[in-house]
Amino acid sequence: MPDYKAPVKDMQFVLHEVFNAESIWSKLGLEEVNRELADAILDEAAKISENLLSPLNRSGDEEGVSWNDTVVTTPKGFPEAFKELAEGGWGALAGAPEYGGQVIPKMLVLMFEEMSYGSNIALGLYLSLTSGAALALANHASDELKEKYLPNMYSGKWAGSMCLTEGHAGTDLGMIRTKAEPQADGSYSITGNKIFITGGEHDLTENIVHLVLAKLPDAPAGSKGISLFLVPKFHVNDDGSLGERNGVSCGSVEHKMGIHASATCVLNFDGAKGYLVGEVNKGLAAMFTMMNYERLSVGVQGLGLAAAAYNGSLDYARERLQSRSPAGPQNADGPADPIIVHPDVRRMLLTQKAYVEAGRAFAVFVGQQLDTAKFGEGEEQARAAGLVELLTPIAKAFLTDKGLDCTVLGQQCFGGHGYVREWGMEQLVRDVRIAQIYEGTNGIQALDLMGRKVAANGGQNMGVLLQEMRDYAESVTTAGMEEFTAPLQSAVEVLDSLTRDVLNAAKNDPHAVGAASVEYLHAAGYTIYAYMWARMAEAALKAGDNEFYTSKLHTARFYMKRLLPQLQALATSVRAGSDVLMDLPESAF
Amino acid sequence: MPVYKAPLRDMQFVLNDLLKVDQHYPTLSDREEVTPDLLDAILNEGAKFAEEVIAPLNQIGDQQGCTWSEDGVTTPDGFKEAYQQYCESGWTSVSARTEFGGQGLPPSVGLLLSDMMGGANWSWSMYPGLSSSAARVLEEYGNEMQQTRYLPKMVDGTWTGTMCLTEPHAGSDVGLSRTKAKDNGDGTYAITGTKIFISSGEHDMAENIIHLVLARTEGAPEGTKGISLFLVPKFIAHEDSSLGDRNGVTCGSIEHKMGIKGSATAVLNFDGATGYMIGEENKGLTYMFVMMNTARMGTAMQGLSLGQLSYQGGLEYARERLQMRSLSGPKNPDGPADPIIVHPDVRRMLLTQKAFTEGSRAFLYWILMVVDKANCGATEEERKEADDLLHLLTPIAKAFVTETGLEVANYGVQIYGGHGFISEWGMEQIVRDLRISTLYEGTTGIQALDLLGRKIMGTGGQALMTLTKIIHKYCESQKDNAAMAEFVEPLAALNKEWGDITMQIGEKAMQNPDEVGAASVDYLMYSGYIALAYMWAQMAELALGGSEGDSFMASKIKTARFYFQRLLPRTESHKLSMLSGADNLMALDVDEFAF
Repeated sequence: MPDYKAPVKDMQFVLHEVFNAESIWSKLGLEEVNRELADAILDEAAKISENLLSPLNRSGDEEGVSWNDTVVTTPKGFPEAFKELAEGGWGALAGAPEYGGQVIPKMLVLMFEEMSYGSNIALGLYLSLTSGAALALANHASDELKEKYLPNMYSGKWAGSMCLTEGHAGTDLGMIRTKAEPQADGSYSITGNKIFITGGEHDLTENIVHLVLAKLPDAPAGSKGISLFLVPKFHVNDDGSLGERNGVSCGSVEHKMGIHASATCVLNFDGAKGYLVGEVNKGLAAMFTMMNYERLSVGVQGLGLAAAAYNGSLDYARERLQSRSPAGPQNADGPADPIIVHPDVRRMLLTQKAYVEAGRAFAVFVGQQLDTAKFGEGEEQARAAGLVELLTPIAKAFLTDKGLDCTVLGQQCFGGHGYVREWGMEQLVRDVRIAQIYEGTNGIQALDLMGRKVAANGGQNMGVLLQEMRDYAESVTTAGMEEFTAPLQSAVEVLDSLTRDVLNAAKNDPHAVGAASVEYLHAAGYTIYAYMWARMAEAALKAGDNEFYTSKLHTARFYMKRLLPQLQALATSVRAGSDVLMDLPESAF
Repeated sequence: MPVYKAPLRDMQFVLNDLLKVDQHYPTLSDREEVTPDLLDAILNEGAKFAEEVIAPLNQIGDQQGCTWSEDGVTTPDGFKEAYQQYCESGWTSVSARTEFGGQGLPPSVGLLLSDMMGGANWSWSMYPGLSSSAARVLEEYGNEMQQTRYLPKMVDGTWTGTMCLTEPHAGSDVGLSRTKAKDNGDGTYAITGTKIFISSGEHDMAENIIHLVLARTEGAPEGTKGISLFLVPKFIAHEDSSLGDRNGVTCGSIEHKMGIKGSATAVLNFDGATGYMIGEENKGLTYMFVMMNTARMGTAMQGLSLGQLSYQGGLEYARERLQMRSLSGPKNPDGPADPIIVHPDVRRMLLTQKAFTEGSRAFLYWILMVVDKANCGATEEERKEADDLLHLLTPIAKAFVTETGLEVANYGVQIYGGHGFISEWGMEQIVRDLRISTLYEGTTGIQALDLLGRKIMGTGGQALMTLTKIIHKYCESQKDNAAMAEFVEPLAALNKEWGDITMQIGEKAMQNPDEVGAASVDYLMYSGYIALAYMWAQMAELALGGSEGDSFMASKIKTARFYFQRLLPRTESHKLSMLSGADNLMALDVDEFAF
């Protein structure tokens, strides 16, 4: 198993040199958050992920969780590690201050997330699901519920879960059947079965707070009749102590391709007592306010595991001796050269490096918009909120698709050893694979982007982003930027015309959006990464001459020349339109 | 678990309509004749065996895996019995020569069977698969003792075979291998060393295992020129092929892997084991390459077979799973939602699976005909020509079909949504099982170097010209067929560009030796896309000439169109990337990759 090494230096570069985060934070009124604090958080997070989480990653995979008559046991060391994590305050980073939260901006929180996922995604998920549930409560629950539940969730004493999916209702949540019967005391009686509930049952905490989507008896059909409920595993007494067990139990856990140490539960609600969160029939909307954060966080899973794969394969490529360089021996005293001398191994390493580092910058860029949307004011706030809507599906899908690409390449660098479990590379592939699926498959993200975020408002938000990238390319004055701004500019024009072409086609063709969506999302991702690489190149050029910055410039160059060209194929494919997809009768497949 | 169904209709279309095997088989010499009736019977019976006997063992095999103990390796429940039945039905001997007890049919027939066996249960199929590759080497290069004592029992399946190349420090770079062969002075050698990643290296399915082992004799030259090949049986055979003493080869452990868990991947320790040299000293790699080329085609087949299985699973689910409404109005108004196959993006995933799978079937089966010709062509000239073409096509087939196969299998998981990630549905197993195929038998990177470095630059581009000429001739023949223009025009343009690009890279490579490696994988993928375009154009042509209302043929045309419009454009990106030069790969100092 490759030892996890937190990329702190690169994170600092992105935060401080590319985005000048301190000035953003101060503009948003987050005076307490400065460079010093950020660096301290990064250092602590690095320690935790390297020393506490990473050592449990492979044993967690081998042991997995086990289920026995509704009780779920996590792998050895997990309860202790979770406790340490919770006591370190890592569950409260972005919480509401009145209940013990810390108000750390997302730009910074997501770096902790990257490290926790990269070192041990299965363990990291228990914490991030709890933060997600807490966020939904903070935004929509009554003060009474918040007071009762939030402090213990922030402190990690209790965990949280999100219960959406049912056997027949995954992507199509409007079809859910779980029922909520109003009770005389103002609570609800919840009955139904939920599946795929991450962290739905476990032995890490003394209580679990489930957020459950269900329908009232007289609710409208479809997605407009869904309400959100808080259903605790153990009832909570008025003094905060735990009462009786509630009517929710775990029927089984899934056997999965990866994230074996994360409990994916079937939960049976049998007249469980639940409390309404937010308004009746507005459950989906309440879920969605949290969804933008969740989706970025899932994207960061793709990033974290890709970074771990890059790290592992780089070490291996430096050490593994096989064959000689085509340009003559580079390690003349050894029996062969380290494989990093071979151009194709470098192609695989640089591909990972270019995606990972651009992905990190992109995640911070989205984090910046989330922070501005949350803490900002006026026009700036509105602009950021629009960008969040646009960028979230791209971040979720593109980061995780590239996450799979990178982990597969990392495995490929190991040759046959990449396939053998003890080396740990295949686990990264198995673990990252789920990130393309849950929280809305990447196909759903693409439809959300193309349909709801681009087509529905005539490309307005996309126009804002295109303009920002165009303005940047035109206005940058740093010497030596031409080789980066030129390909960025042409990519922006391709994306712009592609957007217009799809919007035009969609006027007469209901399938135009769906037919373009995934490749369009990728086209947007490649263009945004070009923007990120240009900005990183600029920061490197400004900073001057040392190895770190030279490395950035080389990688930016590699990206523009070797990866950005994929935009061409995507654009051609999108322009083929929907006929080639829809013509074939269902029976003729 | 998706239920494997042998794609007989498509196989027959490719064999009969596209490749016209009724004209191909009679041209072969030195082999038993394959009549259309015989081929049909073999395919039908093979399909039955694959579907009924080994497909049901696929998921069990994954769950149980192989287990190792001091006494040997135990395969999953049912594997051994299925193998006995396979041998009794005579499937192991289909393509082996009659003088060794085989049925003497051309190599293609055996490989066609392996498509079905592999789709049904890849792990299981590796045992007979590797065995027949090992038997081929003995057929070709074994001496009389080796052939009479060992071959017949390998041919009838009583014994199985392996190939032992890799050592812990010598994978892609076989020249570094250290296993020693000490001359015993009695015509035998004492083999000592450790081999890893040996598929079927130890198991309980057959009473003896015949290892083909690469080792160095004393005083052999360094590197690849000092490697010889040895036959090292688990049990030494007497003259009458009865079992004698246990030989000094033992299985130290088996690997715990991402997939193919029913296939035993062994560490083998040779401790002065008795070995018999095959062929001449220091020519081991040449002989091994005979086996390797067959094995590479077998691995290419893995991309196809498992791609097929994933497509079948994805399609079935997409037709049954009800989620959301079609954007052009409900298609299943009486149900709670429409089947997800109505959604354009689900169709994109399914069509990508279909286009790669069916295109790869045509491509690989075409190569099987070339394999036949290279082995049993009527004239020396015909054999040589086919052999040259085969050398060019093998790395493309191996790497392209497995890389795209992995894409296909990942789409299979994606179509299932969350269920795709759950073991019991069987889709994730396909990804895990298939993942090895871009690694073993030479990684994709190694195939690409072989293609561009050895096969193309090594022949001054001559080998490629043979292929581009074939495609050119085809395009010319369709020049006046207006209905074919949408396929032939892009194909002809790419075919020409392929030659131009090759020249450009060749020129650059003369200045900088890193240029070949820098372009190689993109070049291989680019080549694969053109090869499949050639196959899809031909299939479209046949379909256009088919009868009105034949939905199978209509489906071919539409899939061809999808391939040309939505997948073939990837050549544009590969071109830009490979022509961008070696500098952007080589400029970064080794220490500058991470900080």
